[in-house]
Amino acid sequence: MIKKALKEINSKKKDISSKKKTILVIEDDRPLLGVINAKLEKSGFGVISARSVEEAFNAKIKKNSPKAITVLSIEQALKYIESLERVDAVWLDHHLLGEEDGLAFVKKFKANGGRWNKIPVFVVSNAASPKTIKSYIDSGVSKYYVKSNHRLDEIIEDINSLLKSFK
Amino acid sequence: MKKKVITSVSNEIIRNLKVLAKEKEVVRRKLEITAKELAETAKKLATTAREREIVRRKLEITAKELAATAEKLAATAKEKEVVRRKLEITAEKLAVTAKELAATAKEKEVVRRKLEVTAAKLVVTAAKLAITAGKLAVTAEEKEDVRRKLAVTAEEKEDVRRNLLVTATKLAATAEERESVRRKLAVTAKEKEDARRKLAVIAKKLKKSHETLEHKVLERTKDLEMARVKEEAILLSIGDGLLVTDEKGIIIIMNKTAEKLFGKKREETIGKIFSDTILLENEKGFLVFLEQYQAKTILKDNTTTSVSTYYYRRKDKTKFPMSVMATPVILKGKVIGAIKIFRDITSEREIDKAKTEFVSLASHQLRTPLSTVNWYAEMLLAGDVGELNDKQKKYLDEVYKSNQRMVELVNALLDVSSLELGTFIVEPESVDISKLAQSVIDEQRPQINAKKISFSFSSEKNVGVIQADPKHLRMVVQNILSNAVKYTPDGGKIEMSLSWAGKGNILLKILDTGYGIPKNQQNKIFTKLFRADNVRDKDTDGTGLGLYIAKSIVENSGGKIWFKSLGVGDSGTTFYVTLPLLGAKKRGNRYAK
Repeated sequence: MIKKALKEINSKKKDISSKKKTILVIEDDRPLLGVINAKLEKSGFGVISARSVEEAFNAKIKKNSPKAITVLSIEQALKYIESLERVDAVWLDHHLLGEEDGLAFVKKFKANGGRWNKIPVFVVSNAASPKTIKSYIDSGVSKYYVKSNHRLDEIIEDINSLLKSFK
Repeated sequence: MKKKVITSVSNEIIRNLKVLAKEKEVVRRKLEITAKELAETAKKLATTAREREIVRRKLEITAKELAATAEKLAATAKEKEVVRRKLEITAEKLAVTAKELAATAKEKEVVRRKLEVTAAKLVVTAAKLAITAGKLAVTAEEKEDVRRKLAVTAEEKEDVRRNLLVTATKLAATAEERESVRRKLAVTAKEKEDARRKLAVIAKKLKKSHETLEHKVLERTKDLEMARVKEEAILLSIGDGLLVTDEKGIIIIMNKTAEKLFGKKREETIGKIFSDTILLENEKGFLVFLEQYQAKTILKDNTTTSVSTYYYRRKDKTKFPMSVMATPVILKGKVIGAIKIFRDITSEREIDKAKTEFVSLASHQLRTPLSTVNWYAEMLLAGDVGELNDKQKKYLDEVYKSNQRMVELVNALLDVSSLELGTFIVEPESVDISKLAQSVIDEQRPQINAKKISFSFSSEKNVGVIQADPKHLRMVVQNILSNAVKYTPDGGKIEMSLSWAGKGNILLKILDTGYGIPKNQQNKIFTKLFRADNVRDKDTDGTGLGLYIAKSIVENSGGKIWFKSLGVGDSGTTFYVTLPLLGAKKRGNRYAK
């Protein structure tokens, strides 16, 4: 399993070296994750998802207690990002399995010694209470999308144009 | 020798030459002086020439001015001449008028004199008449005296004759009476006996009926007392709080539930003015004077029953919401008091809140599968997983569109639930309403163009920045405009305008030539989930929540929303929204503690 994951990591690294933009997708709903990944790949992104991280790194725990994995998954998502040469953007859902939500991830991500401050985070979630949206914006995310109100190509276009503006 | 001569000659020559040279020098100097003088003279001459030129020019100007003045004078003279002629004419006319007036005066004088003569004559005639009248009066008086005396004599004669006649009649009558009395006495005796017998019968009957009556009255009184007690018991036992006041607002009846609701005994309240005893508050915590409010509504319409929600503070300072139904008591067309029914609606409110919270939660949950359908359909339609045939595309498009409608419905439901929960956060900022309107229009442009609607937008000068929550303001404009576009047939017209409405308000007006709103449904148009029959018929799309949301937002911002529509047909509808410049107040969660 781990070997397979490492293989995956290596292939991702190849993607990165071939100047493909890499995006980390953290989404708890499997069908949604599927369609997001498909569309992103179709649009020329290299995609890593938080789910695939947890599957790759801790298959055993996943079977026993999904809660434990999810807590780990954020940690591991962070670790994973560290293991990569670069991540260009993060696609994040608010509701994740377990205790911690997307907001907790953003706080850890942005607080990490300022290393990833410049990596844009796009929150795509249905938990659209004005209070939640405000917390995300205050935490420094680039944009908040109400999932059901936007097309995939719309969000991807935004990500593309933001990434282009960094050059 | 020769050399000596030569030397002397040459010396001579030299001397002469020196003299000549000196003379030349003198001449040269003189010439120089003369030249200088000449130069100066030339300069002076030049100066003089210039001055002369200036003087000449000035003279020229003066001449021109003089010519102009002369012309003006000539013109003035002409005008004067005209005026003089006019004056002459006027004078002539005046002379004529004066003559005429003089003639009239003379005529008047003649008439006046004639009148004077006539008056004098009249005075004389009057005096003569007075004398004649006096004489006539004296003669008449004498005649009257004679007549009176004669009349008196005649009357006296008549009196005597009458007295004689009366005496004769009386004598005749007395004789007759005596005879009739005698006859009557005979009859009466018989009648008396009959009457005595009849009276005895009646007396018996009366006695019996009296007994029955007394019995009946007793029974009836008992019944009435029972009914009264029953009615009072019913009134007092009604499950809702009940208070009855007279026309002055004094409490005359209070039931047990009301005692419980207000925490006051009947003895404390009966006989007191209602609004002094039972203190009701509105939503903002201000006291409400129900009496005043009712007087107004009752005046308008004698039969008005009003239902409102107020709050009552118990002795322990806790507050609860209460539905108050007030109905006037009317006797012979006059209001003689009011009945007020009070109901504690705390539990209804809680149920309402729970319901709204459920909608909110459910709507969030609904969004996830909606997003899934949305995005998979999007990818399929985009051909990301292989090309679809036309029929497949068409079918999938329907799926996608229906899903979009569901998304809209869920969004609207969420807005409604947050409006009703009071979690609708208002974050006012300076918004350029003109720009905002333009961006809503841009968003609607594809539909406007597709329907070939002629669209115009105008904004009065300086109508621009107001204090409002841009998201909410956008929802208002968007809801009204999208309705106009949706419900106006192809080739119709929409006019949108922004203008000042006085008192620091701005007016948004959206006119369309669409289907209109049926007259009998106009009062429901702002109610939740309501859609008018004529548009439901034409278009199944629409949630029936847009105008409800728009109205809630507008009213929360201190504005007003209304519309005009002549009813169904293509006469269209015009929506009006006024918004105060200062606009919405910042508001967070109303229920937050």
